Amino acid sequence: MNVFLVETDKTGLQKFYEEIIGKFETYAPVEKFGKYDYKRISKLDECDPDSPIETTMSIKPLFFPKTAKVMKFKEDNTGTTISETDEDSLTGKRIILGVKHCDARGLQVLDQVYNWDYIDTDYQKRRGNTVIISTRCDKAGTQCFCTSLDYDVEKSDAHDIRIVNGLDGKIYIQAVTQKGEGFVKENISQQSAVGSQQSLEEIKKHYKSFEASFRLKMDYKEVNEKLQKLFDSPEFETVSSNCIGCNTCAFICPTCHCFKITDEKIKDTGVRYKSYDSCNNGYFTLMAGGHNPRPVKYRRWRQRALHKFVYYKERFGMNLCVGCGHCAISCPVNISIFDVVNQVAKV
Amino acid sequence: MDYSKKIQEIASKLFADNKINYFVGYKQNSFDDSQVPFLITDPAEIPKLVFTDRSVFNLANYLKPDHTKRKRVGLVVKGCDSRALNLMLTESQVKRENIYIIGICCEGVLNEKGEKAQNCVECVMPDPVVYDEMIGSPTGKREYTINADIRELATKALEERADYFESIFENCIRCNACRHSCPLCYCAKCCIDQETSTLYHGANTSSGAMHALMTWSLHLAGRCVDCRNCEKACPSHLPLHLLHKQNESVIYENFQQHLAGMEKDDRGAFYKYSLSDPDDFIL
Ligand code: SF4
Ligand code: SF4
Ligand code: SF4
Ligand code: SF4
Ligand code: SF4
Ligand code: SF4
Repeated sequence: MNVFLVETDKTGLQKFYEEIIGKFETYAPVEKFGKYDYKRISKLDECDPDSPIETTMSIKPLFFPKTAKVMKFKEDNTGTTISETDEDSLTGKRIILGVKHCDARGLQVLDQVYNWDYIDTDYQKRRGNTVIISTRCDKAGTQCFCTSLDYDVEKSDAHDIRIVNGLDGKIYIQAVTQKGEGFVKENISQQSAVGSQQSLEEIKKHYKSFEASFRLKMDYKEVNEKLQKLFDSPEFETVSSNCIGCNTCAFICPTCHCFKITDEKIKDTGVRYKSYDSCNNGYFTLMAGGHNPRPVKYRRWRQRALHKFVYYKERFGMNLCVGCGHCAISCPVNISIFDVVNQVAKV
Repeated sequence: MDYSKKIQEIASKLFADNKINYFVGYKQNSFDDSQVPFLITDPAEIPKLVFTDRSVFNLANYLKPDHTKRKRVGLVVKGCDSRALNLMLTESQVKRENIYIIGICCEGVLNEKGEKAQNCVECVMPDPVVYDEMIGSPTGKREYTINADIRELATKALEERADYFESIFENCIRCNACRHSCPLCYCAKCCIDQETSTLYHGANTSSGAMHALMTWSLHLAGRCVDCRNCEKACPSHLPLHLLHKQNESVIYENFQQHLAGMEKDDRGAFYKYSLSDPDDFIL
């Protein structure tokens, strides 16, 4: 990990934000009805880069939008004509402020599947055009468990730039990727002292106290190994008994990447859309002939739990759950994947 | 209001007498003082059952076959929840002999901030309207009032109202938690599901959300019992009651002060016909 460090304070950080918001297409957490979401902003006071951890959606929709036009079509007596949609060109440079560790890691996880057998070019373009700047995340939320999984929050290079609280009101702007370093050098006018040994110590300390603030901790290796053999566990039925089978947990999850294809058609013309889907939804595996291999909800929850903690890891070497806890917060009945996998693995 | 012990006793008896296969009640969350619905098939779990002013859900929702497989179920309901039961019974969604209803004379539940929930402040019927066993002392029906937020909405110009609703729908993620948490949305295939739609709202856009949610609220017009299970489920905290309460107030004023599920055999406003109904209005 290459590190480029700038020391500043609250006012300096504010100035940095203001400057870059003026220059680039910026997204940041914006409050509505008491919940936060990443929205396009044009002024700093519209958003809160240090918003509470519990945003409704992750930053996923900025890369994999909740709905996207795939194509347009028109039918007449000569057949069907297909044409390109008028979606944006995806060439503008974007920045996202206030990004949590888990959300940023989520993108690294999504990179695997979107670079796999089929390269999703829209996703790649959005990835390439975006600089990801962190929030000052220094205390875990009630449902967070990002430090318990298969990645190291402290050494992570999932953000391009991290904003870290130091001692005595000091704030560090730390570039952790080459892209981030270029961005900081280009856009920071108050070039102050670059990373001393002492500042690095302070940052280390910051992560120590961050790690200590977690309510939820698990032994990832053990859970992963046990779950590999627990496909037939009766516990899946218990843990999913009050699940109402909505789409919430998958839609808000930073790493769920399933989508469905639907058409909106009026008379002979229409648009084909690609929108989020969820394996906890009864339609997910419903086949055209009417057969449904996952007709009951515990089988759906088993798919969710094992895809997150076993299958994806087997295929791509990364856990599909990044421990953000969004699902437990947003789930109408607070089912937490942390509890689910631990309860199943406990037996 | 803490009826936990009482409910545990009744549940034990129901299991001991082999009257039920499932009991649906509440369990304490481990991380704060909120609760979640709790489905039991094993009497050993009974000591975990609780009921207090944090028991906010409408458990009638778990009578859908997905959850309790049309088996015999004991469940706890508050006034509003029991009104939904009345409708589920007339609409043949559940057999009366298959359910054992513990009705609570409700003192109101709390919202996330710890204040009395808005629907409880406005509640017209806190006592259970259908039950096998009642807990608490009934306080009777209250007067129906049309609330400030609905009255205010009605005074807004049409355009302004449309803009306001649009700003709500913008934040809808089409997760369908609202529909799946409503006990009266029991259709296995729903016309607002994206999977079943080809004409409109197939996409996750705000116009799709508007179309879907308006259709949804019209299917609940004259049936919605204001339990706000849907609103509590919404991950975006959208004020969904505005849709339902607006319908409710229009129906109350135009259709002989109808309020859904208050009496046995109530069919919901749109399934009743009376010669004295005004014919100048179709919702
Ligand atoms: S499964 Fe839940 S905790 Fe894990 S990444 Fe998804 S939303 Fe976050
Ligand atoms: S958990 Fe379900 S919705 Fe999420 S990526 Fe896996 S299969 Fe798709
Ligand atoms: S959000 Fe909760 S209730 Fe909805 S499908 Fe996921 S676990 Fe089930
Ligand atoms: S609306 Fe009435 S019955 Fe329902 S929870 Fe509130 S006070 Fe109780
Ligand atoms: S629409 Fe909402 S408030 Fe009305 S009955 Fe259904 S869940 Fe309750
Ligand atoms: S629960 Fe809320 S976000 Fe989800 S579909 Fe309903 S209104 Fe939209």
